[in-house]
Amino acid sequence: MESPTFGTYLQINGVEKHFGNQHVLRGIDLEVQPGEFVAIIGRSGCGKSTLLRLIAGLDEPTAGEIKANSELMKGLNPEVRIMFQDARLLPWKRVIQNVAIGMKKEDLPKAELALKQVGLIDRAKEWPHVLSGGQKQRVALARALASKPRLLLLDEPLGALDALTRIEMQRLIERLWKEQGFTALLITHDVEEAVAMADRVVLIEDGKIAMDTPIKFPRPRQRGNAAFAALVEKILRRVMGEEENTPAVYARQST
Amino acid sequence: MKKSLFSDQVKKQLIPWLLPILILIIWQLLSSKGILSTKILPVPSDVVMAGVELIRSGELFQHLLISFKRAIIGFLIGGSIGLFLGLINGLFPIADRIFDTTIQMVRNIPHLAMIPLVILWFGIGEEAKVFLVAAGVLFPIYVNTLHGIRSVDQGLIEMGRVYGLRSWLLFWQVVLPGALPSILVGVRYALGIMWLTLIVAETISADSGIGYMAMNAREFMQTDVVLLSILLYALFGKIADSMAKWLERKCLNWNPNYQNL
Repeated sequence: MESPTFGTYLQINGVEKHFGNQHVLRGIDLEVQPGEFVAIIGRSGCGKSTLLRLIAGLDEPTAGEIKANSELMKGLNPEVRIMFQDARLLPWKRVIQNVAIGMKKEDLPKAELALKQVGLIDRAKEWPHVLSGGQKQRVALARALASKPRLLLLDEPLGALDALTRIEMQRLIERLWKEQGFTALLITHDVEEAVAMADRVVLIEDGKIAMDTPIKFPRPRQRGNAAFAALVEKILRRVMGEEENTPAVYARQST
Repeated sequence: MKKSLFSDQVKKQLIPWLLPILILIIWQLLSSKGILSTKILPVPSDVVMAGVELIRSGELFQHLLISFKRAIIGFLIGGSIGLFLGLINGLFPIADRIFDTTIQMVRNIPHLAMIPLVILWFGIGEEAKVFLVAAGVLFPIYVNTLHGIRSVDQGLIEMGRVYGLRSWLLFWQVVLPGALPSILVGVRYALGIMWLTLIVAETISADSGIGYMAMNAREFMQTDVVLLSILLYALFGKIADSMAKWLERKCLNWNPNYQNL
């Protein structure tokens, strides 16, 4: 439906971020093609959330540059939307008004459409606090997509959900990503989630990119598949910093 | 089934009033039997009669109106200033640095301590009462507004920025609603202070108003009118509080904590 170059073309060159003496990011180089789905994994505190904030324009890099569609970014990027780990719905606005946040009045049909796409149009008039955690995240997803962003940043949005809701949400995000063609950057510490959803899995370690693996499985992906499980295992071992041939002592994170 | 439900409802409504009514009955009995001197406490029925008499002469209504006017004007002036200062100090760190220390110093002066000075400034005119009420309500509203703005969820503000809300819209859609529960606590507290201030101000220096009516009655040993005045203040206090509650329910209907009050 959308042109193949609808998504943002993202270039990150030599980006560093220091907080006082703490060097959180030490030179990140990353290129993301329009419409590509990239998962960024890493242990907590590795700087992946900081990178996301820089890309959104919420913070400025100490050094290096970030380009969106070959243009240097300045301040908040209007074509970017973030889906946060906590849904961050405004409790004093009805569901539909939350989805329509920042939109003009005449764009309300767009918000309704987005709410329909996540299957919650019948809850439009409710207050957010009556929704379940999974429903809140679906509303947050609708809000993120209502304004047709060209770049969607997902900051561990499924971390707090139960296993079933989580898989459901992963499928929903994947489907909408395919339909709308935005560029997606997913931060997660769930390797299986990364492999299930992304075209590429990038590992950040000590503020640097330590691994960049393309995932070539056809979609929709079969999680039970042996090759899939083996790849998850391999990446997980790499994350944990183990040798290739030692058995994984850490159980695979269940989704 | 339906009938018992109805009577349950009525019972629920009546229970809070049982104790006041019982006290009134005992008081009436004690006074009318002469156990309680009417110089100390008038018979409740006399208070009612005094009320009827004052209503008939139109005097009560006149005093009520003037007291109301003072309360509302003072509240509006003090409340607006408090709200304004709270908002700018909460939103702009530079304003906070300039004003907050001064405001905190002034805040710690009991505003009623200024009565002698206020009488020197304004005499016993309307300005004196309005000034005192305004000074009394300003600080609770200021403190709670400031606190409300500061305690707005930073995550929501960040979200608003990412989703394209700039300055005014961000304030209107995120910051103010987030601060509102706290602001309304300030309003409710300020309403109490408003009556307290007015009572003191009218009792000490006035030539009209409920407080004046009470002081005037004291000179003629009309304990029934004195008591009537006190009861009127109690009634107004209750009305003001109910209004504040109504406002909370109206403005905070999104908040589950306020939905079933």
